[in-house]
Order: sequence, then structure tokens, then C-alpha cells
Amino acid sequence: MNLELKNVTRAYGSFKALDDVTVTIPEGKLTVILGPNGCGKTTLLRHIVDSFSSKMPIAYVPQETFGSLSMTVRDVVSLGRYDRTKFYVRESEEDKRLIKEAMRDMEIDSFSDRNTDTLSSGEKQRVFIARALAQNAPWMLLDEPTANLDVKHADMLMSVLTGIKRSCIIVLHDINLGSLYADNIILMKNGKILSSGNPAEAVNCRLLEEAYDTGFVSAKIGDREVYVSSGQ
Amino acid sequence: MEKKRHNVWYKVIMAVVILIAVMAFSCCLGSVRIPVRDVIGAVTGLTEVSKATDTIVNKVRFPRICMAVLVGGGLSMVGALMQGLFKNPMADPSILGISSGSAFGAALIIVFNINFSFMGFSGLYLGAMGGAVLAWFLVYNIARISGEHDLNSTLLAGIAISSILSALITLLMTLHRESMEQVYLWMLGSFSSSTAQKTVTMAVVVAVIFPVLIFTAPRVDVLKLGREAATGLGVSASRTTGILLCACSVLLAFCVANSGIIGFVGLIIPHCVNFMRVYKMRGKLVMCFLVGAVFTLLCDTLARTVVAPGELAIGALTSLIGAPYFLYLMLRNLLRERRMR
Repeated sequence: MNLELKNVTRAYGSFKALDDVTVTIPEGKLTVILGPNGCGKTTLLRHIVDSFSSKMPIAYVPQETFGSLSMTVRDVVSLGRYDRTKFYVRESEEDKRLIKEAMRDMEIDSFSDRNTDTLSSGEKQRVFIARALAQNAPWMLLDEPTANLDVKHADMLMSVLTGIKRSCIIVLHDINLGSLYADNIILMKNGKILSSGNPAEAVNCRLLEEAYDTGFVSAKIGDREVYVSSGQ
Repeated sequence: MEKKRHNVWYKVIMAVVILIAVMAFSCCLGSVRIPVRDVIGAVTGLTEVSKATDTIVNKVRFPRICMAVLVGGGLSMVGALMQGLFKNPMADPSILGISSGSAFGAALIIVFNINFSFMGFSGLYLGAMGGAVLAWFLVYNIARISGEHDLNSTLLAGIAISSILSALITLLMTLHRESMEQVYLWMLGSFSSSTAQKTVTMAVVVAVIFPVLIFTAPRVDVLKLGREAATGLGVSASRTTGILLCACSVLLAFCVANSGIIGFVGLIIPHCVNFMRVYKMRGKLVMCFLVGAVFTLLCDTLARTVVAPGELAIGALTSLIGAPYFLYLMLRNLLRERRMR
């Protein structure tokens, strides 16, 4: 089922975080949301969670790194199986397999017994992503999941998300990383959708300049179009 | 070895054994020393004991010991839930404003010398309970003004109401200096007024609230992932918070009405349980109850035996014994982490 959003408006006081947004997000694809700070990307993700979580399971990875969790890495990842184990049902072999695979995919299995409070921001981020992977939900929503990750792990995350063949919506700030992996891109500005479609349609220098209010230049490297801010 | 270290239920069984041993030990001690054999005989009725021993054990010490166990366990569980819900290691039961409410209710009864009893409960007990209900009513309704149960609003409302009530207590004590000592001593906490009736009432409250907390506990773990992630897992942040805050408030109101304000227990016991590497909320609550019960009971035993037949303030003892032990655990943990790096 594609996610259909029609004329969505969400406001914080008089500030419209989403302003009459209408967009279709395709199922089974990797959709990347791009846009400047405060343009409504996180609000769009939250709106999707609030509107659709009663109809289907959604795995959500929030933007912020948390305060004290006081739990081991494995405990946090196993929360992904909460829906099945909530009535004190023991973890099945399937649950254990999903938890193990998620920890292996995010390369956190070597410190699964550590308290998450002692981890770095990047390690913590990978734990939360593994938690969402273990949920095995048909839709995954990730809000700036690469914010605290190094280049290797950011690339690894995008490869994993491409490989799992689930519907993913990811908020990113890295335009080139988004263009490289996305099937579908949504570019936002001031709570509105500026463009959406495949990377070739939705991203070009003109649209990026309009979204970010700064100059962009592009260059072809191999068969990829790479965008760099020219700062003008 | 690895499995044993992380097996929560192994730790729970150990804690239960220790708690029973400490209860028996505590029953023996006091201004009159009673052998363990007689204590077991008096409590179980299996062997015959003298009337005096039976009265001391069953009418005086046993209700008080059970009350210390229930209150200590209750305060620790509430503390663990506050730290989990507010994702703040410094949170403790007092942030709900209920302790101040109880103290205010008790102070009013003491200062205006209101003597009454209802169904066997003293005016002081009922006044403390009334104060707790009043404080929670205010905090709960202020926090729900936006329609949903907001944790930040609860925290801020709790702090504000607590400050107002503490200021009112200070004013009451200043204006009625003759009652100052009595109010102050009540606020330091004591189990000396424990009766069989109060203990049974407290046991019923714990028996009702404990399953609610244990059943809801895993949701607190999920809520730590953030509101949206919890919603995606089918957990309503607002409903879970509402249920837990109400359950904790009832438990806390009974704890404070029965014993006065016993500080530090609700703050340090959850941390001690963390140091035992029990992290998931369900196991943590069970361990908190047991460890909190053992700690409070040990403090109360000391409070009533060190200067017998007089008594020390248990609120001061919990801090005096708890803080150094807490520092020792903290330093041990920090050194272990440093070695692991």
C-alpha cells in the first residue's frame, strides 16, 4: 500500500510546519526527504507515524540521541520484538534470529552486553537503527540516521536499507548520499513539497538553490551527478 | 558464567532469601532480645511462646518490620519508574509533589492539634493521606490541561506544587513554634506508629499496585525509545504515562502517610540495582522492591536499636548509610568501566 498524504497541514502555534502537503510515497521503495533545517521533514515523519501506525506496524528511528536508557545493547535491540513478546512470551527462534541479524548488520554484536549509556553517539545511533531493523516492520522511518555516523557506517546503513527490500523513508542532509541510494526523493521547503520523484527528476541545481537559498554546482563523476554548495 | 551473571531471577531468589533472613534478624533485635526460634514460633504459631514474646513479636515488631519492607520496596519501585519515565537518573518519588502534600496535611493536623480517628486510622494518617491526594489532584490536572498526559508538565507542576506546599509548611512551623519539633520529626520519617491494621492496609495496596506496575513495566522500556518509536510498536505514551503516574501516586501516598518522608531510598536503590546489571524494567522493579525493602528494614532496625528504648530518625539514617554505600558502588563501577576501556 502506498502512503497517500492529502492536503496535510500541521502547525505549532501560528507556525505552519506542514503547509497543505499532498504527496504519494511508494511502497517497497527507499524514499529520501531532503530540505533545509526547519522545513518540516521531521514533522512529516511524525505525521506519518501518528496517522498510519494504527493501520500498520511502523519502525521509527528518531533524530535525537537519548538521555539515560540504562539498558544493554541487546536489551534495546530486543525491544524491536516488543509487539510479539509484550505478554511475557519468551523470544522465539525467529525473534532471536532477527535480533542477531540486526545487530550483525549494524556491527554492534561485539558489544551487545554493554550499557548503552557508555556508548558514543554513533554507536548509540546504530543500536537504535538495529532496534528498528529487528522490528521487521513493512515501513521504516528514519530521521537523520546518519547524523552521528562516520562515512563507512553511513554507507553501510544505506546499503543495508537498500538490501532489506522494505519501504523506507529517510530524512537526510547529505544530498549525494540520498541521490545515490534513493529510489524516490522528496525535496521540501517551508513546510511545502518543492519536488518529488526519482533522483534525476527531483534534484537538480536549480531546485536545490531554491530549497537551500544558496548556490549549487554539479559535476558528473562516472554516471553519477554530484552536487556541491558553491556558497553564493 | 555469562548466563548466570545476567540471570535476573537468580538475583531475585538471592534477594528474597536475604530479605527473609533480615526480617527474622530484625524481629530478634530490640530493647528485649528474642531468640530466632521463638520469633518463628510466634509468627507461625507452630511452637508455643510466652504471652509477652507473642505480643512483642506479633503486635509490635512484625507489623513494623512488614511496614518497613512494604514502604521501602514501594518507594524504590516508584523511584525506578520515575527515573525510567523521565529518562533522568536524578528523578525520585518526591518530584510528583506527593511527599510535600502529605507533609502539609500532617503539619496541619499537628499544628492545629486536630484529634480524630476514622475506622481506626488516626487523624495524622488521614491528614497525610488527604494532603497527598490534594497535591496529586493539583499536579495531575495541571499536567493534563493540554488534554494529553505530558511528562514535562507533570514534572514542572510537581516541582511547583511541592515548592508551594514546602513553603506553607515552613510558614506553619514559624507561626506555631510549639509544634515545630513534632512536625520536623514527622518529616524525618519513622515506622514507630505502625499497627497491624495499617500494615494490612498497606499490604493490600501493594498487592493491588504491584501487578499493575509489573504488567506495565515493559512499556516504560519502549517509551525510552521516544514517543513516535513507541507508537510504532503499539504503545501509547499518554495512556502508559497516565496509568503509571496514577498507580505510583497511590502507592507513594500510602508510603508517606505510613512512614513520613524517607529520603534517598527512591533515588539510590534503582541505581544500586543498575550496578547489579539488572536493566530491563520488569526485573528492575522486582529487584528494587526487594533491595529497597532490605535496605529500609536494616536502617529501621538500626534506628530502633542503637539508642533503645529511644529512636533515631530513619530519614537521616537512610542518607547516612545509603550515601557512602552508593558512592562505593559508583566508584567501583567507574573503575571497572575504566579497566574495560
